Amino acid sequence: MTVLASVSLATFLVTGLAATQFRSQPLPPSNRLARDEALRKSVNQLEDQNRALKAGVQTLQAGVKSGEEESARRSSAAQQVKAQLDDEKAIAGQAALHGPGITVLLHDGSDPNDPNDRSLGWTVHYQDMQDIVNLLWASGAEAVAVNGQRIVPTTAFHYAGVNILINNGSRLSAPYTVTAVGDPSSLANGLGNPDQLAELKSRSRIYGLGLSWVRSTRLSIPAYDATFLVKYAQPTG
Amino acid sequence: MPNQPAERTARTQRLIVVSLIGLALGFLVVIQLRSQAAVARTLAAQDDTSVALLINDLNKANNQLIQQSAALSQQEAQLRQALTAGGADSQAIEKELTTLRAVNGEIPVHGPGLQIGIQGSIMDFELEDALNSLRNAGAEAFSLNGYRIISNTPVASRGQNLLIGGRTVSAPLVLLVIGDPEQLQPAADLSASSLQTRVQVSIERKTDLAISGVISPRPLIYAQLGK
Repeated sequence: MTVLASVSLATFLVTGLAATQFRSQPLPPSNRLARDEALRKSVNQLEDQNRALKAGVQTLQAGVKSGEEESARRSSAAQQVKAQLDDEKAIAGQAALHGPGITVLLHDGSDPNDPNDRSLGWTVHYQDMQDIVNLLWASGAEAVAVNGQRIVPTTAFHYAGVNILINNGSRLSAPYTVTAVGDPSSLANGLGNPDQLAELKSRSRIYGLGLSWVRSTRLSIPAYDATFLVKYAQPTG
Repeated sequence: MPNQPAERTARTQRLIVVSLIGLALGFLVVIQLRSQAAVARTLAAQDDTSVALLINDLNKANNQLIQQSAALSQQEAQLRQALTAGGADSQAIEKELTTLRAVNGEIPVHGPGLQIGIQGSIMDFELEDALNSLRNAGAEAFSLNGYRIISNTPVASRGQNLLIGGRTVSAPLVLLVIGDPEQLQPAADLSASSLQTRVQVSIERKTDLAISGVISPRPLIYAQLGK
């Protein structure tokens, strides 16, 4: 009797669980999960490769730098050119800087889950970042970085689905921190001007999207972590 | 007494059944948890399109980094060669200096690219979007109505006009872009298609166009070198 009861109970439980299992299975016949997994694996591999390549570039840059320094010690002609090169590197963002400035914090708001509102206004878009960085330059910023990535003369924000990429495949993810060195008052005045970032500010009110800034007496901006390649634009003359 | 073996058998059977239940339950619970975790990861990650775009971008970026590595290796070899021979190759340093001056917009440059004519006024963000997508397509130098633009050149609207680094630019606009025309064209077409509802846009491929406008670097007043 007890054995029968146990078996019945077991069958009941197993069947019940199996049923739950089948119901909860999100797999359509095309095996979506396996495909997603494969795609994500590719992303992980490519990002690992990206990090390794960047580390390689930095090692090579250190080698070039030491070669340049040694050349400068040996020849006054090389020394002169090297001094000019250092100035240009600082301008191009290939040197870390520090100074007073401002830190802008940005994060996604909450999804209104409104079928009539498909604007995605609650998320931070790459254009928002572009607008903030442009406004900071216009307000006198001398150097800008987004999530630790230096904005250099060739920087573009790239929109890959829900991702924002800058500077050789660096993926930015929320929350976003934009740091700028410059006069903190004029940077804050630029950001606080009601005519500026008007659309972003209204989305911040509607969706609770985070937009705030704090002044700093000292903040650091890292150097650009790669080099520049110019293939088409040749110097004239 | 004859009941004893039967009882033992029953007990053993019960034990087996209970173990089996435990085994089945454990197995199912594990599968259940694993599939839930996978679902959570899928959601936490993203839709297929986003991931596919990401893969494409990462491939492009990694190729860029491979090319950067090759250029740096070559530069290092050139410097080392002169040093081994007991001298110094200032030309190798000069070459890098010229590249940076071009990147910083401080010297006139020429090369293949696009000439984009815009017969009307556009807003600052429209120009920003166009510049951004052209940069993503590998643009190396820009000028708008003769004014050089790099990524830290502020762009602003003042009524119907644009302010490029504080200087007023009015329609008609001529945007010169140096880069691989094959790569630039789709980005320019895309920007044009969104502008063309209001203004007339023309795009011409050029084998060699000259950008003579230069930027004088902004002096650093607040920023100091070092971390």
